[in-house]
Amino acid sequence: MSDQPILRAEDLHVWFDLPNGELHAVQGITFELRPGERMGLVGESGCGKTTAILALMGLLPASASVAGSVFLEGEDILARGEETVSPHRWRDIAMVFQGAMNAFNPVKTIGSQLVEPMELHGTATGKVAKAQARELLQMVGIAGERADRYPHEFSGGMRQRAAIALALACEPKVLLADEPTTALDVMVQAQILELLVRLTRDLGLSMILVTHDLPVVAQVCDRAAVMYAGEIVEMGAMSTIYHDPRHPYTRMLFGATPDLLGDDNVISIPGAPPRLDREIVGCPFAPRCDSTFSPCNVAHPRRLEIATGHEAMCHLNDTVSVLEPA
Amino acid sequence: MEGRADYIIKRSLFAILTVFVAVTINFVLFRALPGDAVSGLRCQHCTKQYKAAMRRELGLDKSKWQQYVIYLKNLAHGNLGNTDVSHLPVRGQLWDPLKNTLMMLTLGTVFSIIFGLITGVVAAWRRGTWVDRGSLWTALAFYSMPTQWLGLMIVYFVADRVGLPHGGIQSPDLGILGPPSTWAYWSDRVEHMILPALTLGLVLYGEYTLIVRSAMLETLGEDYVLTARAKGLTNFAIVRKHGLRNAMLPIVTLIALSLGFIVGGAITVEYVFDYPGIGLAIVEAIAQRDYSFLQGAFLLLTISVILFNFLADLLYFKLDPRVTT
Amino acid sequence: MTIDHPLPSSPSQIEENAEGLATPRRPGFIKNAILTQPQAIIGLVIIGVFVFIAIFGSYLEPYSTTEKTGPVYAAPSSAHWLGTDDGGVDMLSLLIAGTKVSLEVGFAAAVVAMVIGGAVGVLSGFIGGAVDILLMRITDIFLVIPDIPLMIVMAAIFGRSLRNIIIIIGIIYWTSTARLIRAQVKSVRERIYVKRARSLGASNNRLVFKHVLPQVAPLLIANTVLMVALAIFAETYITFLGLGDPSAISWGRLIENAFQGNAVLNNAWWAIVPPGVCVTVVILACTMVGQSLEDALNPRLKVGHLSVRRFRLRPLHGKLEAE
Repeated sequence: MSDQPILRAEDLHVWFDLPNGELHAVQGITFELRPGERMGLVGESGCGKTTAILALMGLLPASASVAGSVFLEGEDILARGEETVSPHRWRDIAMVFQGAMNAFNPVKTIGSQLVEPMELHGTATGKVAKAQARELLQMVGIAGERADRYPHEFSGGMRQRAAIALALACEPKVLLADEPTTALDVMVQAQILELLVRLTRDLGLSMILVTHDLPVVAQVCDRAAVMYAGEIVEMGAMSTIYHDPRHPYTRMLFGATPDLLGDDNVISIPGAPPRLDREIVGCPFAPRCDSTFSPCNVAHPRRLEIATGHEAMCHLNDTVSVLEPA
Repeated sequence: MEGRADYIIKRSLFAILTVFVAVTINFVLFRALPGDAVSGLRCQHCTKQYKAAMRRELGLDKSKWQQYVIYLKNLAHGNLGNTDVSHLPVRGQLWDPLKNTLMMLTLGTVFSIIFGLITGVVAAWRRGTWVDRGSLWTALAFYSMPTQWLGLMIVYFVADRVGLPHGGIQSPDLGILGPPSTWAYWSDRVEHMILPALTLGLVLYGEYTLIVRSAMLETLGEDYVLTARAKGLTNFAIVRKHGLRNAMLPIVTLIALSLGFIVGGAITVEYVFDYPGIGLAIVEAIAQRDYSFLQGAFLLLTISVILFNFLADLLYFKLDPRVTT
Repeated sequence: MTIDHPLPSSPSQIEENAEGLATPRRPGFIKNAILTQPQAIIGLVIIGVFVFIAIFGSYLEPYSTTEKTGPVYAAPSSAHWLGTDDGGVDMLSLLIAGTKVSLEVGFAAAVVAMVIGGAVGVLSGFIGGAVDILLMRITDIFLVIPDIPLMIVMAAIFGRSLRNIIIIIGIIYWTSTARLIRAQVKSVRERIYVKRARSLGASNNRLVFKHVLPQVAPLLIANTVLMVALAIFAETYITFLGLGDPSAISWGRLIENAFQGNAVLNNAWWAIVPPGVCVTVVILACTMVGQSLEDALNPRLKVGHLSVRRFRLRPLHGKLEAE
């Protein structure tokens, strides 16, 4: 892996208009993705992870407003909004959508929908495109002839694979996978994950995998970022985060996962995430945290580097906060 | 696929059955009228005996059941009887007016589809804005207008301003200086068709607007549209390639269903514009109590409606690969 | 085949097999549905105005509706606000008189259609089985009957009177109500509380009246309102074909008079415009109310991924959260 990040988000914010007010869905996240890296983006539903990756491709609705930068190979693709981001869609950065079941237009064949972006971006046309479509399908484990079938003729797992094939149609550099294994049974899940790992390795892709399912992240990703209430509360190498979590949320998340090998200690995190349409005073996780102390309800924690490549946003790591008199 | 052949067969049988029922109802209705084709005759030699003889000849003295059988037999031979007024074969009397009406109706349908597509797409695109609401209410307003009234209004306020004729199918001065060229003949005809077709188009486009808009919104909310946008397609391309195609499905069904309604509208429009089509013929026949003609005309209309519904079923079936039963 | 074109339909009405619309569980649902939507209020007000005119019309008419009180096709003036028709009769008086007749026919025919259609729908949906199949076949037959011949035959046999027109319209239009109600009844029937009541031994009648009807009533009312619009429309159509009641003054007759009396040639726009405007406005008002009710029963929410305006950019300003 080379050193220059292929994708870098800097202080990315997303707001959604509400009938009265705004929802601050993504609150200034910053992260890097290196070439060939697989990064996981984890968190409960509603934490803003899907919105964050949609923002990377500028796929937000008219009710959204965005601030911050997204650098793709050094170029700020959000500089002028739609204008600067749309040329990169699918060619450089592509997405495998959540609920890929419905990502396909039911009245067109799978093949034609794979060909569409190729022809649109000029990477291939006509017979060549069709042949490539078949190859793509085969690459994800679907027989090439099925290109002429319709989406409803594919099983859920197959459609997910087809969605992956679709994402690869224009040979992008970055793949964003949004919950690619939700609603699939465990066996199929494993296959899909294996496929993703193999593809990213063989094709040299970088991937951001969004999920609320921790075992998935642990299995597939080199690095992970944990999101809570629109912010990245901890980020680092997979093993580091797993063994040395520096944010209570991370710790509790991993603790809440049934450990098949160990004992039956399932810790679920009581409570619910905070509302994002109001300003939050102090640390957003404080109400649910088991390790709060005096600064937690008063000041928002700073983003701190624990070690190279490992950061967390919690007062517990902040010597300044700790030493501050109560 | 097996299921598809099954479907076609089922629909065909249903269509045939419906035709049969329609024929029977047609017969029953017109025989229910007091008196018959003969009783209303007024002529110098129409004595009682003459009328009785005519009845025998026309088979009107037989039982209803026998008359029904004769009716069916005649139909099988394409014989629709003779008109009460001129005693000419009904079939011959239907042909020309039918042609005229079909041309005008086609033009009218084209108008309404175009208006509907444009307003529907625009309304869906700008959903929730005044453009959306304005389009919908305008369409509904036109839809709520009595067709004959709209026709009158158009004749009054529009015809002269755009130099189109008030009615009829041919300008009186067309053949004055010698036989008209094909071009002159047909352009004159078209001129006479435009306003009646426009009236129909305006009255009926509203339903297309609603359907297009609804289908568009449904489509545009689908995940695959987000995918399309992610792939890099422009708004316009998305509407054109994904939205329209999906919106076409209900339009096709609507066209066929509308045919029944269009015919009704054609009647009023032709009456107002004095356009010699089937509609006008029917209105005149009503006034003249020409029940034989009416029977033949309505049989024709009913059957064509059934036929078009059937064709719409088939077309929808072909367009939507999801339909298998 | 049906008259001219069907009732102004909302998107929700276009699906003929309405599979169990959302059921109104709270009483006062209708009031709520109407009061929260401005278009429903406007519609009701308009209808109210016309109903008022219909009821008190005879006191409002400035002139007689049968005698010549002015010159033939006189333009609107201070004496005759809407001018006169081809017989010198005051248009405004005619219009007011027409309101009464048209609304009468509209409401009466809608009630007929609602009663027949509602009864058939409830019976069909609730009892199910052979009764259902039989009633649905009958409905299909009625759908195939061409309306104009039916009108002609009825006019010929029974004469041309308002009462007959009302009956004809009711007969032609009950089928759509029946279908709609049947679907709704079927879905209500499956709901748990009905099953529960049944298991407690409640009689069929009780079930129908206490449980099914209240859930079906709002839909029925919404449908009836739209049916009124349709009936008024149908009346103009029937009259225009010459099958109307010759002695009754309705908006349809006024339009027909304008046509027969060559109003166009006489440049008498005041004889043409008003009756049609009245019809259109009343039908629109009914549509507004009916559609609001229907939308309240069947809300649809869909996020559109397509819009002309894209997401907006904001400059980063103020304090940042990171160090």
